[in-house]
Amino acid sequence: MHTVIQALILGVLTGGVYALMASGQTIIFGVMKVVNLAQGALVIAGAYLSYSLFTSFGLDPFLSILITTPALFGVGAGLQWLFLRPLREEDRAELSLLVTFAVALGIEGVLSVTYKTTYRTIQASYADRSFSVGGYQISAVRLYAFLLSAALLGVLYLVLERTKFGRAIRATVQNPESARLLGVNARVVAAAGFGIGAATAAAAGAVYGLLYSFNSGSHYDLISRLLSIVVLGGLGSIGGSIVGALVMGVVASLVAALGPPIWSDFSFFIVLLAVLLLRPRGLFGASLRGAL
Amino acid sequence: MLDCNRMQRFALRRRAAAIALVVVTSTLTAAACGSSHGNTAKGPTTLTIGISLSLTGDFADPGKAAERGYQLWAKTVNAKGGVLGRTVTLKIVDDASSPNQAVSNYQNLINRDHVDLVFGPFSSLLTIPSSAVVNRYHYAFIEPAGGGPAVFAQHLHNLFFVQPAATVQGGMVFADYILSLPADQRPKTAAYPSLDDPFASPIADAVRQRFEAAGIRTVYKSIYPAETTDLSPIIAKVAAAKPDVVVAGTQSEDAYADVRAMIQLKWAPKWLFLSNGANSPVDFPNAVGLANTEGIFSSGDWFAGSTASGSAAFIAAYTKAYGGTADQIDSTSAEAYSCGMLLEEVAAKTKKVDNATIISTLHSGTWPTLEGNLSWDSSGTPQGSYLLEQWIGGKLLAVYPANRAEHPPVTEPLAWAGK
Repeated sequence: MHTVIQALILGVLTGGVYALMASGQTIIFGVMKVVNLAQGALVIAGAYLSYSLFTSFGLDPFLSILITTPALFGVGAGLQWLFLRPLREEDRAELSLLVTFAVALGIEGVLSVTYKTTYRTIQASYADRSFSVGGYQISAVRLYAFLLSAALLGVLYLVLERTKFGRAIRATVQNPESARLLGVNARVVAAAGFGIGAATAAAAGAVYGLLYSFNSGSHYDLISRLLSIVVLGGLGSIGGSIVGALVMGVVASLVAALGPPIWSDFSFFIVLLAVLLLRPRGLFGASLRGAL
Repeated sequence: MLDCNRMQRFALRRRAAAIALVVVTSTLTAAACGSSHGNTAKGPTTLTIGISLSLTGDFADPGKAAERGYQLWAKTVNAKGGVLGRTVTLKIVDDASSPNQAVSNYQNLINRDHVDLVFGPFSSLLTIPSSAVVNRYHYAFIEPAGGGPAVFAQHLHNLFFVQPAATVQGGMVFADYILSLPADQRPKTAAYPSLDDPFASPIADAVRQRFEAAGIRTVYKSIYPAETTDLSPIIAKVAAAKPDVVVAGTQSEDAYADVRAMIQLKWAPKWLFLSNGANSPVDFPNAVGLANTEGIFSSGDWFAGSTASGSAAFIAAYTKAYGGTADQIDSTSAEAYSCGMLLEEVAAKTKKVDNATIISTLHSGTWPTLEGNLSWDSSGTPQGSYLLEQWIGGKLLAVYPANRAEHPPVTEPLAWAGK
C-alpha cells in the first residue's frame, strides 16, 4: 500500500508539470486549429534558457521564468508570423504539421550546435530536498513545480476568462468569422495565441530542466506525450489537458510501481485508446469545445 | 612487374616489323619499368589512414572526442618521424552519425581514395555495417568504440576492438570485487533496474547471474523502456524491496535520474553500481551534484590516473594540444589514440604496415596501449577486463583490481544515506 500511495503522489506531481506544457499545446490548437509539433522543442529551448541563466548568472530557474516566458512569447509570435500566417487557411491544418515539425528540427539543430548533445540538468540548491509526510517522500522540486504549474494555469484561466484579450481569443476559438465581424483582429490573436503557447513552454521548460536531464533531442519523446495528453483531454480544452496530464502521470507511475516498468508508458496509451473508443473527441472535447 | 614483362614481350615480337617502332616501344617500356622500380626502391613517403567519424548528429560529441584522439596520435607519431619513415596523413570524413553514410565513406576511402589503412568509427551502430564492408576489401579494422555483442557475432577476423573487454562485460569487475569480499561482508540481496538497451541491461544481467550463483538473492529486477524520463516510481519500488546492492544497467540520463530519485526518496543501498553514466568525470557530477557522487561505483577502460603504457605522455600531449585538465579527457580520445599505438607497435615489430601483416600480427601476443595490454580472440573480442571505478573525495578513481588501482574501494555509506 505504501508503494501505491507513493506512486500516486509522484504521478500527480508529474502530471501537474505535464499539464502546463500541454495547456500551451491546446491553446495553439484551439486558436489556430494547428497541431504544433514544435511545442516539445520549445519546452526544451525553455529548459536550455533557464539552464544558461542559472549556470551563467546563478538565477534561480523559477525566477528565470520572468525572463524566459516573454522571450519565448516573442519567439512563438514570430514563428507564427513567419511560417504559419502565410499558409492558406484551407491548407493550414495539414501543412502546419510539416511546418511545425520543420521548426522543431530547426530548434533542435540550433540547440545542438549551441549546447552540444551532452545531457544537462539544472542543479538548484533545493534539487535534492524532499519533505517527509507520514512516511511518504515529496520531492521539493516536484512540489514547487506542481505549484508553479497550478499558479500559471490559474493565471492563464484568468487571462482567458477575465480580460478583453482573453475574450477575443475565446471568440476566435468559438467562431472566427463572427469574431472578425465583431472587430477582433484574427491575425493578432493567432500570433498572440501561438506566443502564449510558447510562453507556457518556457515556464514548463524551466521545471523540466529541474526534474530531468535533457539534451536537444529530448523533444521527440516529449511531443508524443503532449499530443497524447491533449488528445485524451480533448483537443482545444485546457481543462481536458489538465485532466489528461494527471491521468498520464498517475497511470504511468502506478504501473511502474506495481508491474513491469516496460509497460508504464504503454499503459497510458491503452487508457487513451479506450477513452477514444468511447469518446472520440476525448474526455472534454465535445462539451468544452470553444470554451478553452 | 607482370605488366612490365608483358610489355617487353610485346616489343620483341615486333622487332622485325619496324625497328624504329621497337626502339620507341622499348624506350617507353624501359622508362615505365624504370619508373616503377624507382618507386619501389624509394618507397611511399606517406601513410594515409581513412576514418569515418560522427562529427555531426547524435554521436557528434564522442565522435569529435575520437577525432581528437586520432589527430593527436598522428601529430605525435609524425613528430617522431612517422611510421617506418612514412608521414601519417589522416583522411577523416563525417558520417553524420548515420550507418549508411559510414558504409559509403569506407567504400569511398578504400575504392576512390585508395587509403593505405582504415580505423574505425564511433559506436557499435556504425561499426557493424562498416566492418563488414571493410572486411570485404581485406583491410584491417582497428576500431575504438564498437564493443556491442553484434559486432563480435559477425566473427570478422580483421576486426580488433581497442578496449579491454566486450562492452557487456562492464559489470564483471564489480562482481569480482564484491565476491572477493569475505562472505559475511558481502551483500545478501540485490536489485537490478535496467534500461532496455543492448549496452545496459546485459551488463546488469551478467552480474545478476554471478551474484545469484554466489547466493546473493535477487529482490527486484526490471527493464524499463528508453523513453522513461521519470525513474522515481521504479526507484520507489526498488527502495521498498530494501536490497543491499543495486546494480543498474544504465546509459547516461537514466543513471542521473536513478541517483536523483534515490536522493529525493531518501533511500540508499549499501553499494550502488551504475554501468554507464557515472563513469563520466565531468558530466556525472554536473548532473547529480558533486557531493552526491561519493561512493558510487562504475567501470571504465581509461582514466586520468592510469599507469598504462604511454598514459602520462598522452595526457601531456593532449592537454598541450587541446587545453583543459587530465580529468576532462574523454576516454574515447584515449581509445582512438590507442588504435594508432597498435599500428606503431605492429610496424616496429614487423617493419611492415600492410593490412595482411597487421591482421596476422595482432592475432598473437599482447599489445600495450592506453587501454592496458590488449589481446583478442578470432572475432576481435578483447580478452581483458574493465577497471572498477569509484567516486572518492570528488574524484573518479580506479579501485579494482588491486594491481591497477589508484585507491582501495571505500565502503562508507553513500553520500545521501541517512540524511
